[in-house]
Amino acid sequence: MLRQPLSRALTLSSPVRAAPLAARPYAAQAPPPPEKVEVFIDDKPVHVLPGTTILQAAALVGVEIPRFCYHERLAVAGNCRMCLVEIERSPKPAAACAMPVMKGMRVKTNSDLTKKAREGVMEFLLVNHPLDCPICDQGGECDLQDQSMAFGSDRSRFTDIHFSGKRAVEDKDVGPLIKTIMTRCIHCTRCIRFASEVAGVDDFGTTGRGSDMQVGTYVEKMFLSELSGNIIDLCPVGALTSKPYSFAARPWETRRIDSVDVLDPLGSNIVIATRTNEVLRILPRTNEEINEEWLSDKSRFACDGLKRQRLVTPMMTDSRGNLTPVEWEDAMVAAARALRDCPPGKLLAVAGDLADAESLVALKDLVNRLGSDSTCTEQYFPLDGAGIDLRSSYLCNTKIANVEDADFVLLIGTNTRFEAPLLNARIRKAFIHKDTDVALIGPKVDLTYEYIHVGDSASAVKDLATGSSSHEVMKRLEAAKRPVVILGADQLKTPEGAAILAYTQELALRLQDKLEDKKWKVLNVLQRTASQVAALDIGYQPGVGAALQAGPQVVYLLGADSGVVSRDQLPKGATVIYQGHHGDAGAAIADIVLPGAAYTEKRATYVNAEGRAQQTLVAVTPPGKAREDWKIIRALSEVVGQRLPYDTLDEVRDRLSEISPALVTYGDVQDNNYFAQARSLAQSLQKPVSGKVDVQLKKLEDFFMTDPISRASPTMAKCVQAVIKQKSSKY
Amino acid sequence: MSLGKIFALDKVATFFNIIRQNGGIRASLYKLYRQDELKDGTLVGEDKYGNKYFENPRFFYGRNRWVEYNDKAYLNYDGSQVPAEWFGWLHYKTDLPPHKDPSRPKYKWMADFTENMSGTTGQYVPYSTTRAKVEPWVPKSKSS
Repeated sequence: MLRQPLSRALTLSSPVRAAPLAARPYAAQAPPPPEKVEVFIDDKPVHVLPGTTILQAAALVGVEIPRFCYHERLAVAGNCRMCLVEIERSPKPAAACAMPVMKGMRVKTNSDLTKKAREGVMEFLLVNHPLDCPICDQGGECDLQDQSMAFGSDRSRFTDIHFSGKRAVEDKDVGPLIKTIMTRCIHCTRCIRFASEVAGVDDFGTTGRGSDMQVGTYVEKMFLSELSGNIIDLCPVGALTSKPYSFAARPWETRRIDSVDVLDPLGSNIVIATRTNEVLRILPRTNEEINEEWLSDKSRFACDGLKRQRLVTPMMTDSRGNLTPVEWEDAMVAAARALRDCPPGKLLAVAGDLADAESLVALKDLVNRLGSDSTCTEQYFPLDGAGIDLRSSYLCNTKIANVEDADFVLLIGTNTRFEAPLLNARIRKAFIHKDTDVALIGPKVDLTYEYIHVGDSASAVKDLATGSSSHEVMKRLEAAKRPVVILGADQLKTPEGAAILAYTQELALRLQDKLEDKKWKVLNVLQRTASQVAALDIGYQPGVGAALQAGPQVVYLLGADSGVVSRDQLPKGATVIYQGHHGDAGAAIADIVLPGAAYTEKRATYVNAEGRAQQTLVAVTPPGKAREDWKIIRALSEVVGQRLPYDTLDEVRDRLSEISPALVTYGDVQDNNYFAQARSLAQSLQKPVSGKVDVQLKKLEDFFMTDPISRASPTMAKCVQAVIKQKSSKY
Repeated sequence: MSLGKIFALDKVATFFNIIRQNGGIRASLYKLYRQDELKDGTLVGEDKYGNKYFENPRFFYGRNRWVEYNDKAYLNYDGSQVPAEWFGWLHYKTDLPPHKDPSRPKYKWMADFTENMSGTTGQYVPYSTTRAKVEPWVPKSKSS
């Protein structure tokens, strides 16, 4: 069961979520905001909307009220009682997190009564909490530690240790990512609320009451969610800690570097905690536009893959065909000779999933200077019609944050839960809090929320686009005021991809033209990788199919590891140069290996699925002889004799801004236009389609290992094993 | 006291003597550049590494025995290049240079002298007992 947030129970405006999909009315426009009321927090006046809680009102005037169970992004529980405050003319202190303000209310957050109440609450919490801070992983970042210093009593009256001892609770096993020490639990229920509201996996709950209360999964069960790591951050004490990071470091020893995640197309903002040139853990960084304060498990826990299977030295094939370590000079000279001896049209460059914009532009400039025009990405995108000429055709135009304002979401051939977990969390948020409905064309998958399944045949897209569909979704889409259509980029690989894209554009733009809100964008194409948008912006051709047909003599793989280029597709005697950071599919077929830097080791630009340029920062140095990627290409250009005209990162970025200013406006996202032109160019492509719509990542075990970093990660491998084991369990 | 001494002509003579002993003006300037001092003295001996050992009792004790390192070392000479057998003579532990001292032990098993290799590629580095932070990729062998 999903708990309703208190604010909704109080306003009584939204229909009950449990009602069947068809019986509910469409999300209506928000009514005009009601008048604000004046309240006084510590005699400071503040005007807030009715229904605001005291805690939120206090935050507006900068008064911090201590809390354990309250969290801005979760429903109000009001069970820790730490936020008790005194209200004038009220006999008892009230929980500030759950108490809505009333006109003229006078709240005292610093009175004797409030202080005494907090001290009492803290004393009760500490009676049932072990004093194991020295061996607790939360030490130094523990809310209970901090607040007991600030608000607790200076002495203990706890003597029961001589009689019945401290409360002790058995630890639970919830998978390879989260370590539980349940004795430390203070029953704030944040993890329970996160699991049921945000993650959509209703496994957590409480049993017992009073001092027998326990948080757990009832039966021993893994927490089967792609967002499970977030409950580690949510836990205010050390009851839930990270298993891979356990006993690794203290927070004050680590150096924290702000960066950007590249393991999914959303570009979530992260903080990389490092010590002694080693990435210890990755935490989310709040960015309301992208990831709020969550992070998917792959982005969070795959960081141990950065220490395994690394390319640390240049390599070349010896006379027997085995790759052997060589010096940079030899590898450079050999690569330059191969590039120079290559006939102009026979050079092919392929960019992989994790390539950054700087190295992409340097590689394209180098290949073009050598007289070749074939630079490709691994992911395909149809070039018919407008193709990649109009940026609106390959981006998430609605923008991630706006998805939660949508009133109808149509997913076509995408499992957002695993392709972009935080976008899926947004859709789920809209589904729960705004009564947004979701429809899916594609195989039946678990999206963590209910949706209308329109079938998995591609012709359903065609019917919706032409308006000939008799499905209920048609009416709902037509009636929606802010509809969103999300097309998975995987569908575009198939021969019918161009037609599916054309129909999706037709459908989205037909809906968009009718909207009252002229600024609302309907069409979204969800790319699968972090590099694809930047590569298309720079002018890479999507897909390697045509370029491989031409029989290239030299293939330059820039981190291309998804296996679309293999030895048997290449003519005999072709030279493969691989530049990247992990030994995977690409390095295995290479003749010359140039070790590059991973995303934690370079300052580089990545453009996310909505077209937002962001940069990673250097957290650790590249291992061994590995170097930053654009520098390798720049050095190679010198040896080839086609010197690229940039020596510093700033100069490369000047070159990027020449190609597209959007690539260097960090943090910003531009509005896209030319939808009508793209639509008219796509008219001729609307051919009948008959295929099935399928997605690559169907189940949780498919989610964890999708790129060279997560494939090298032992934690991710453990996750896959644990999920498979859990699936075979009877619970 | 002779007239020469009054006018310090003996110092001038010593100066020219030093220049002559060191092989002329050009060679003297080079030696001054390389060793920061210019001395005259008698060659006591030469070790097998090409370092030459000089003595001149005119200089006061502590400065009256010195070594001129092999020309191959150029400016990269240091005290550790003096082999053990000459060390004693150079530091006044003995007045007998090694080739004139019959009582020195000489065995076949005695290891050859080596200079201090710190800071060079030849320096001693103990093997690491910690696990490497980064595991490198080992390519699969194609032909076994």
